[in-house]
Amino acid sequence: MSKIIFRLLLSFIVFVTAFIAIRQLVIPDSFGKLGHYRANSLDENKARVPYYKGTEKCASCHQDIYDLQFSDLHSEISCESCHPPQIDANTDCKVMPPIIEGTIEFCAQCHKMNAGRIDKGVPQLDIEEHKGDQNCIECHNAHAPWELTE
Amino acid sequence: MGTNRISNNRRKFFKASAALIGGTFAISIMKPLGLMAQTDSDDNTNEKDKFPLWGMGVDIEKCVGCGKCAEACKIENDVPKEPFYFRTWIEQYTVKNDGEVKIESPNGGIGGLNQSVPDEDIFKSFMVPKLCNHCTNAPCVQACPVGATYISPEGVVLVDDSYCIGCSYCIQACPYGARFMNPVTKAADKCTFCYHRISEGLQPACVEVCPTDARIFGDLRDKKSDLVKFLQENPTEILKPHLNTKSRVFYNGLSSEVR
Repeated sequence: MSKIIFRLLLSFIVFVTAFIAIRQLVIPDSFGKLGHYRANSLDENKARVPYYKGTEKCASCHQDIYDLQFSDLHSEISCESCHPPQIDANTDCKVMPPIIEGTIEFCAQCHKMNAGRIDKGVPQLDIEEHKGDQNCIECHNAHAPWELTE
Repeated sequence: MGTNRISNNRRKFFKASAALIGGTFAISIMKPLGLMAQTDSDDNTNEKDKFPLWGMGVDIEKCVGCGKCAEACKIENDVPKEPFYFRTWIEQYTVKNDGEVKIESPNGGIGGLNQSVPDEDIFKSFMVPKLCNHCTNAPCVQACPVGATYISPEGVVLVDDSYCIGCSYCIQACPYGARFMNPVTKAADKCTFCYHRISEGLQPACVEVCPTDARIFGDLRDKKSDLVKFLQENPTEILKPHLNTKSRVFYNGLSSEVR
């Protein structure tokens, strides 16, 4: 074999090996296992801890409130609709109970008169006219809205 | 002597050509055989069918625009609280008597939507919750230059935020405006159907908190799921069907005004 062919062949082999080595190094683990992405990313997306624990979790301690709510019109609403978890996802709700104040603004999120809410099964009120100068929870029990306190 | 050499070359040429044509012919016969061999790997696609295929139904006729879903989404997924980062949000469409359409979504609907148009001017009004549509032909996945956004085996469009280079091509490619650049992770961010929750058998946070059950989540392959029932009982439509994205978020009661 002539010298020049040998050199050409050698440099070709060196470049190809270097290319393969760098390619191995740069492409992350599990890339291309399931498609054009890192398969490990699926587990990373799964790894987060849920904040919202679900009604069953709340009812395991607050069964009385759950029963009360189940008996009235708010029965279909999950606890965490109104009591969003104001906690670290890994801690328990006992550490810092998610308390809300039954202000008119809060109830108005669903019950304020709005042309987009008519006939959807949610009572619509002219809040200013209905409330007088009281908070909603002074008359209504938020868990059982038709248990009026008078 | 010269003529001899030429004829020798010619012989070589014919030999090489015959080998080439014969080889091509042989491979063309082999290919259908290979396809036959792939029928075995069709079992693998059947195995893929064993994964659920997640989708969502949105019932516009039930949505009251309370904003609980958008709020829950922000808490569940650590979305920045500023009013321009949303994985899901609610738009209030108001069609006025003169035909003008007004679309409002102050703070994504968090805290409840208020009607700003006086009642006498309103022809009709409705709420449209929006989120990532988890397209089968996702434009964002095609646009990503590094493979940092992809469709999971369950049909959920996800972002690999450690691999994302933050070029924002996917944000421009999304026809639904469902993506944003997360200022904390410096990566593209979007609705994942709460992938961490659905993998554990829970509902996505927005579905969990919806007080009127306007959002229905389920497995499109499970013929008994609530979502399949919803699709069977209601005339549903996807957003922007002309773009051939084949999205998996289905709307009931969708008006033509919705963009």
